[in-house]
Amino acid sequence: MSVPQDFFYSKSHEWVSLSEGVVTVGITDFAQSQLSDLTFVELPAVGASFAAGDEAAVVESVKAAADVYAPVAGEVIEVNEVLEDAPETINADAFGAGWLFKLKVVDEAEVDGLMDADSYEEICPQQ
Amino acid sequence: MSDGYSLVFEAPVDYAKGLAFQRRLLAARQADLIPDTVLLMQHTPTVTLGNRGRDHYLLKSESEYAAMGIELFQVERGGDVTFHGPGQWVLYPILYLGGREADAHGYLFNLEEVAIRALHQFGVEGFRREGKSGAWTAMGKLAAIGFRLKRWVTFHGMSFNVENSLRGFETIVPCGLEGEPVTTLQKLLGNECPSMGQVGETMLDVFEDVMGRQLERFRAGDGLPDCSRVQAPPVD
Repeated sequence: MSVPQDFFYSKSHEWVSLSEGVVTVGITDFAQSQLSDLTFVELPAVGASFAAGDEAAVVESVKAAADVYAPVAGEVIEVNEVLEDAPETINADAFGAGWLFKLKVVDEAEVDGLMDADSYEEICPQQ
Repeated sequence: MSDGYSLVFEAPVDYAKGLAFQRRLLAARQADLIPDTVLLMQHTPTVTLGNRGRDHYLLKSESEYAAMGIELFQVERGGDVTFHGPGQWVLYPILYLGGREADAHGYLFNLEEVAIRALHQFGVEGFRREGKSGAWTAMGKLAAIGFRLKRWVTFHGMSFNVENSLRGFETIVPCGLEGEPVTTLQKLLGNECPSMGQVGETMLDVFEDVMGRQLERFRAGDGLPDCSRVQAPPVD
């Protein structure tokens, strides 16, 4: 299972990519594979503010529902509206087109506190 | 050395009380105060709608359900509408899935596997159906699944029809699957049907194999137990 090297990761299996004070957040390939085919995504409202660890979104497959957490504190400036009609985009491209939302970060140092790809792979199941 | 606990309730549990107990265990598991814990219980008659549950799959009005003695709940699990009642086991695993021990097959597949292997122990062929989750038999669907993950700990789970009346299912479109029959182990096996106790033990045995966890087994008396024992387990 691939884990991009240039992203950061949370223990709850979100990925984070930082660029100019904004993070893009999605769920990892491991997370999508555990949930199987996604059928619904509940995205946060643009303008909503989260602390690190707050529940920010819900992803659902036919029989499962899972919460997605804000990996760092920030304000939602954009959500991936493609997912409303095509939640399966997450299964197809978890680290790319299947991103969930973008946060304007309160403190960039919080991103450094997340795991790098090697540390994240350590906590994922060996297959 | 066990990897977790199981707790079996012999008397039917009110749905709201069972759910409150699951939520307590969920919080305790998230905080690592308890190991993986599996609840096995029956409910008093209840219809539940999952997150995306569509209420046009409810075939009665609220007052008609009340008159039939069936409680209605909208809950946070995945999946659509289902019925619970005495004679049906519900398995509520409170498991941390986010770590190294997670299984590559995925949790949904594993829950189906528990039902299929349990059926096999009683000589019934159970199988999966493409695009329809749960465990199926020649006479219809026997096990239904709907769960939620919070911080990668599971709650809600799977129901398994043993000797329950199917009347409750006649008041809904189970899982939103129109025209698909629901069945019980009793209907499949008649007089050969094992007791609830035997079926419950078998489900836990099979669960240990499929999920790769050895469970230290506890029993509750009537109603909810004093769960302080579960929350503050004895140290080996």
